[in-house]
Amino acid sequence: MSVLMIVTLVVFIGAKGLGYFWPQAIVQFETAQGPVMGEISDREPAHENEPERLQLRVANRDLYGQDFRWFQADEVKNPKLVADAVLVERLEYGAFIGWIRAVQEDGKVIAEGPGALPGVEQRLPKAHSLRSRIHAIEKGEVGDLNASLEGIRLDRRRLKSAPDEAKGKALDAKELDLKARYQQVSERLDELRKESQRVTVILETVDGQRKEQSIGSLIRVLPVNSMSTLSKLKVYMSRLWEFVAEDPRESNTEGGIFPAIFGTVMMVLMMSLVVVPCGVVAALYLREYAKDGWLVRATRVAVNNLAGVPSIVFGVFGLGFFVYTLGGSIDQIFYSDRLPTPTYGTGSIIWASLTLALLTVPVVIVSTEEALASVPRNQREASLAMGATKWQTLWKIVLPGAAPGILTGLILAMARGAGEVAPLMLTGVVKLAPSMPLDGTFPFLHLDRKFMHLGFHIYDVGFQSPNSEAAKPMVFMTALLLLAVVVLLNFAAINLRRRLRARMGGSTF
Amino acid sequence: MEIEDPRPIPEPVVLPPPKTEPAWDRAAVAEMELALRVRKLDLWYGAKQALFGIDLDVPKNTVMSLIGPSGCGKSTLLRSLNRMNDLIDGVRIQGQVLLGDQDLYDPKVDVIELRKRMGMVFQKSNPFPKSIYENVAYGLRIHGVKDTRVLDETVERSLVGAGLWDEVKDRLKDSALGLSGGQQQRLCIARALAVKPEVILMDEPCSALDPIATGRVEELIFELKKDFTIVIVTHNMQQAARVSDFTGFFWLGKLIEVGLTKQLFTNPTQRTTEDYITGRFG
Amino acid sequence: MTERHFDTELKCMKDGLMAMAIQVEEMIDLAIVVITKQSDAQAEQVVELDRIVDAQEVRLDCACIDLLGLRAPFATDLRFLAGCLKIIPQLERIGDHCKNIGRRGLILNRQAQVLNPDYFEKMGQAVCGMVCDSVEAFLKGDVDLANRVIKADDLVDELHHQIFGELLRQMIKDPLCIERASHLIIVNKDFERIADHATNICEEVLYILEGVNVKHPYLHQDPHD
Repeated sequence: MSVLMIVTLVVFIGAKGLGYFWPQAIVQFETAQGPVMGEISDREPAHENEPERLQLRVANRDLYGQDFRWFQADEVKNPKLVADAVLVERLEYGAFIGWIRAVQEDGKVIAEGPGALPGVEQRLPKAHSLRSRIHAIEKGEVGDLNASLEGIRLDRRRLKSAPDEAKGKALDAKELDLKARYQQVSERLDELRKESQRVTVILETVDGQRKEQSIGSLIRVLPVNSMSTLSKLKVYMSRLWEFVAEDPRESNTEGGIFPAIFGTVMMVLMMSLVVVPCGVVAALYLREYAKDGWLVRATRVAVNNLAGVPSIVFGVFGLGFFVYTLGGSIDQIFYSDRLPTPTYGTGSIIWASLTLALLTVPVVIVSTEEALASVPRNQREASLAMGATKWQTLWKIVLPGAAPGILTGLILAMARGAGEVAPLMLTGVVKLAPSMPLDGTFPFLHLDRKFMHLGFHIYDVGFQSPNSEAAKPMVFMTALLLLAVVVLLNFAAINLRRRLRARMGGSTF
Repeated sequence: MEIEDPRPIPEPVVLPPPKTEPAWDRAAVAEMELALRVRKLDLWYGAKQALFGIDLDVPKNTVMSLIGPSGCGKSTLLRSLNRMNDLIDGVRIQGQVLLGDQDLYDPKVDVIELRKRMGMVFQKSNPFPKSIYENVAYGLRIHGVKDTRVLDETVERSLVGAGLWDEVKDRLKDSALGLSGGQQQRLCIARALAVKPEVILMDEPCSALDPIATGRVEELIFELKKDFTIVIVTHNMQQAARVSDFTGFFWLGKLIEVGLTKQLFTNPTQRTTEDYITGRFG
Repeated sequence: MTERHFDTELKCMKDGLMAMAIQVEEMIDLAIVVITKQSDAQAEQVVELDRIVDAQEVRLDCACIDLLGLRAPFATDLRFLAGCLKIIPQLERIGDHCKNIGRRGLILNRQAQVLNPDYFEKMGQAVCGMVCDSVEAFLKGDVDLANRVIKADDLVDELHHQIFGELLRQMIKDPLCIERASHLIIVNKDFERIADHATNICEEVLYILEGVNVKHPYLHQDPHD
């Protein structure tokens, strides 16, 4: 039954989402208002006295103001596939559908008419490499310089409370130096940008509007109607890869969702790191050490109740306790120089992980207790009778024996943790994080950073997006990916458990 | 003149002493060195008294078997001998158990050290889910032995002692759970031997084994007697009769009768013992 | 105390032993008649009866071994069966002695009496009484009776000596009766051996009942005690 449900879910979501990346044919219609061109994205069958309706993705948001238009089926006439029509994917304003009329360099036309398209395709790789260089400089050098400048600003504030001439001077010198270097870098950047803007492309829509656009802002140029299936497949794969591995664009409705995947995995792993020791220690205490009394009973009741508390309540708790109280205190004590800008006193991956750990710890406790109980009593006795201490017995016999069961608990916890969104919204998830919690800047792991999360991404793209129609397939794809991530994490844990079991079990029949 | 008899005078025929058990009599028993003495041992589980004034002497290098119906306290006594009953809540004990000259229930006694001196083999074979080698080495490892040479030697010696060496020497790294039931039980015995205990306690060691495996374990017990003192709890009276030198009969928490196994099984002094071993109750 | 099927089997054993004992007692009675009354018919009957007793011995031996092997008994049961195993051949030996007496009776009956039949009447009755008592001690588990039987053996020994002396006297007096007297000496010995077997039975009975070995008191030793 549950297998059926999972399969149905995956197939449904997959069908809705996976088609999104397949290049669709561009159709041109004649209407009363003139010609329109676009991909047919939806169809509503005739309904009572409503006639059949078509939804057309006309794209060109910068010119038309909207990506999609509805037409009544009898309104549009003479559908035809225009061979030389192109779909241009752009960094901004979504896609463009129309024709490429000319390519210019420094205002001079270098290719025109039928030669325009090959001309663009020829120059695109160079433009792409230029763009990634600019991107690298912005992310790397500029980011480092900014971090250093921020450091100097903080040092200066520290100096205010304890003035020191020499240090102040050193700081000034350093700042000057940094600023000079900053200047250099930005000059280089400007040059590169100019370089990338030298080549421009003249685009024309079906209704005759023209637009000039720098080649650097184009991602792909696809003459969809004249492409073979194989090249369509290539485009499909490259789009899929872009989706998984790239940063999002256009308020998340385009581009990839890599930061969200990364944030989700990272958060789940951090949560596991916290929840396993906590849960295991708690279960060990409850089952092995605590004398049966009201305290233990109360703890058990509390654990069971904890499992039933709505997750948003955990979010509120995480916000109030972790973020404001704990994070606030940490800021007061260790990062007072940065105040009022909060460091840990605001939502961040660590607090989100801790909140989720709190949310899932009952699962781990309960399954660990079960696992501990399932370790045969006679094995413990054998160990104790050999003269082992209780701790040695627990450590060498009971815990290894219970490890598969503990992992089961972890699997359940991860499954629950990866799917939670509500508490994260309060404790550290953002729709677009400027940087990831793990990167090349010292100290590499930034527990205080906010992060992106697939679940929240779905919510954000699906419900909060200004262009929700365009983002619909993204929602499905993201959901599919979230499922995949959860399943992958589970498989990893299940595999680990199977290996453990095999080691424990030997060939008992 | 005397005629010499040509026939030599025949030597008196001296038969080798029988290879079976020494035929102790009471006097000999009284002079034997005692490995274990139990004095006026009372034991309560909560409010329920489970043992009543047990007095028991176990001479060194002998096998003492404890028989009696289920719930008569024989296992309880066995578990009191290495203080495994400490692990159960609500157990209260009065009286003395002397291992050599040391009172086990002296508050100053280190239970861990004590359990090293008292090996235990359980009813159901319970090897750890580790390799054969690690099972035997476990006792040494938890007592901090790290020297591989010492470990190797001890593992071999213990497995030889338990009569298992030839069967497993080529697969010491295999999981112990892959062994047969009888092998597992002998592995558990080897594990107990590894820490060189003075006394080995066996709680129905053959109850889950087939007759062949049981036979091997019984032979093993006979061999082990040379180096260890063994206390064995068993439900199988034939087994008690076969392996033990002394037998104690428990009934309702009391040690009804204890004596030479031969005596107890042919001519018990107590009516209850008689009824039990002839199967008239229980 | 639970009812055991084994008890029924032991009861069967006891009954078989009793049947054998009755047979043997009848043989002793017949043997007495053969010697005192010089009756050929009884003599032949004794010889015939011995075959039945032999058959009983084989049957009971077998049953005993079966029970020992299958039931692996302990304590009283063990002592009872071990005792039975030893009592059965004793009874069989008694039967053999009776048969011997019967055979010699057939020879003697054709000749004149050497001795006053009262002697053997007395001897026979004493021996028969001992056998009866030993069997009764076994069946009833009567320790006192068993002890009395062991003591009564002395009386039989006394009678044996008396008859032996008398027979010697007769032979000295009349060398012609040496052949007949010699036969009677052996008959006398047979009766004395029957009494010894009765004593042995009682010793086994005492072992069954008390678990102590009372044989050969001069050895002073009991391997278990």
